[in-house]
Amino acid sequence: MSLIEIKDLKVHYPIRSGFWNRITDSVRAVDGVSFNIEAGETYGLVGESGSGKSTTGKSVVGLEKVTSGSIMYKGLDITQAENRRKLDYNHDVQMIFQDSLSSLNPRKRIEDIIAEPLRNFEHLSKDDEKLRVLQLLNIVGLDADALYKYPHQFSGGQRQRIGVARAVATNPKLIIADEPVSALDLSVQAQVLNFMKKIQREFGISYLFISHDLGVVRHMCNNIAIMNRGRLVEIGTRDDIYNHPLHIYTKRLLAAIPETDVNSREAHRASRLAVEQVYQDQQGKYYDENGAAYPLVQVTPTHAVALPQTIAQQLASQEGEVQA
Amino acid sequence: MAENFEQHSDISAADLARLTQEAQAEATPSTAKIIWSEFKADKPAMAALIIIVGFILFVMIGALFINTPKMMETNIMGYFNQPFTADFWLGADSAGRSVAKQLIVGSRNSIGIAIGLTVISSTFGICWGLISGYFNGYIDWGMQRIYDFMMMLPMTMMIIVLVTIIPHYNSVTLTFIFSIFYWEGTSRLIRSRTLAESEKDYVAASKASGTSHWKIIFREIMPNISSLIIVDCTLSFAENIGVETGLSYLGFGLPSQTPSLGTMIANANDPNNITQYWWTWLPAALEIIILCLSISYVGQVLRRAADSSQRQGSVN
Ligand SMILES: Nc1ncnc2c1ncn2[C@@H]1O[C@H](COP(=O)(O)OP(=O)(O)O)[C@@H](O)[C@H]1O
Ligand SMILES: [Mg+2]
Repeated sequence: MSLIEIKDLKVHYPIRSGFWNRITDSVRAVDGVSFNIEAGETYGLVGESGSGKSTTGKSVVGLEKVTSGSIMYKGLDITQAENRRKLDYNHDVQMIFQDSLSSLNPRKRIEDIIAEPLRNFEHLSKDDEKLRVLQLLNIVGLDADALYKYPHQFSGGQRQRIGVARAVATNPKLIIADEPVSALDLSVQAQVLNFMKKIQREFGISYLFISHDLGVVRHMCNNIAIMNRGRLVEIGTRDDIYNHPLHIYTKRLLAAIPETDVNSREAHRASRLAVEQVYQDQQGKYYDENGAAYPLVQVTPTHAVALPQTIAQQLASQEGEVQA
Repeated sequence: MAENFEQHSDISAADLARLTQEAQAEATPSTAKIIWSEFKADKPAMAALIIIVGFILFVMIGALFINTPKMMETNIMGYFNQPFTADFWLGADSAGRSVAKQLIVGSRNSIGIAIGLTVISSTFGICWGLISGYFNGYIDWGMQRIYDFMMMLPMTMMIIVLVTIIPHYNSVTLTFIFSIFYWEGTSRLIRSRTLAESEKDYVAASKASGTSHWKIIFREIMPNISSLIIVDCTLSFAENIGVETGLSYLGFGLPSQTPSLGTMIANANDPNNITQYWWTWLPAALEIIILCLSISYVGQVLRRAADSSQRQGSVN
């Protein structure tokens, strides 16, 4: 059984307008998303900005009011607040936010920030709690003198470490990492990713790793879901996504990974433009008449793509020939 | 699970005391300290603060030693006594009552009402604004309709009507009557900041850490708008001194046997008093001017302290 099973998740935001302020339309931020996260793995959720990744992540943590669908954890549907209370759900599922400054209360000292989940879920003695906070700081590579400082006294990378320490404090089973490194410099990105991996090994945590950049996800995730306009357009293993992408949107995201090799920059640019051209020309084939992605169909046991059955088969066999 | 943390960090219980001490040495000063150092750096503001605190203490304590009913008795012998005499330091009014004593008791009454009004209306307004802004849904909608209704009522007229129909009222009832009408401005201000603050990720993080709504509202969000609250409270205090004074001046505040700054300034209604018997109204008028200026000066310093902590906030 998977650690967490997300089934047909929908989050729609009402748009109110008119004299009576009635609901006239809705933003379909998440529109029918299903995937499972296994214990101990890192699951990647990738898509451009506005595709509904954060909303999906917040729903899994229980921060978002879900329109329909279910998120099963330990046999209970945690979209219901009552079930979350019953399970002490957030003891087991925590979140790391993209904006490290806004996610740390500017008026609280680091000790109080990191101890917050401990105080609500573990009720340790004062000394045990302080010790745990010091250990957490040590684990994320910060000195003890951070204890009584305020968030604005740290750099972006250090703040994100504090965010990680808070998320790890209760030794959770799953951490939703919403673009944890997008706001950081490249050099700091690698550091933060590395110690996130280290923590994962040591504490056996699963991550739902959200990113807009397939380049970052490559080093972190075994399984990846590609999200576009509130729907999943492709699911697969790392190999499926990077080496056998089927959906045009996935190919476009792959082409958008920045090229670090200076010599092949020109070639990279050409191929990116070619992919963009195909995307513009063939949109009609990959999306239905409303511009929404099709339901996912399985092409191999691990690989599914949002296309009509026939086209999917055809593309898959073409891909096979190219490989052969 | 604790073992898990023991195992992966090189810190154990033995290091606790030493590390705590190290951290203490590096600790950042609290907001209260920052505000205090701001006052120490600004001498006029310090003077204003001392004037306010000293004056309030003086009238609160001084009034305890004055027998008000006796003071308010008519004394023919003292009819418009000149100021700066042994019996009447600040002279006497048309009924021969000591202006100095009236000033002390009157200030006590007026300032007491202003403090009471500020405490009640600001507390209520702050809670209303915080709750309305945080829950942002049907609760907010309902609370805003009540707010709109209160804003629609003609405030001064309602107070005058209430004061007229309530048979026996004193400073306490008057404070409560005023409070009904003076929380709206604060609540609106606090609500708009709370709306913005509730959107921030630290609130989401607190929710995800299992913290209850009430704790989030009063322990997470409120400290973040504390500078706004402090500034708003000082300015409302200055304003509230004027509320009672103004109504008493018009004759709808405290009953005439109860001295207040307003009833004393009302002496200036008589043209004779304005020119000849200036000591009956001038001290009260000067006192209000000095108090309100001092309070707004203190408010400015608090605002500056708040700003600098915001400035610190953006520097890493
Ligand atoms: N509270 C909200 N009210 C209305 N629309 C929202 C709200 N939150 C997000 N959205 C919309 O939902 C869509 C998905 O947002 P989000 O999940 O933040 O995307 P991502 O994280 O992939 O960039 C966006 O179009 C956004 O404008
Ligand atoms: Mg996002």
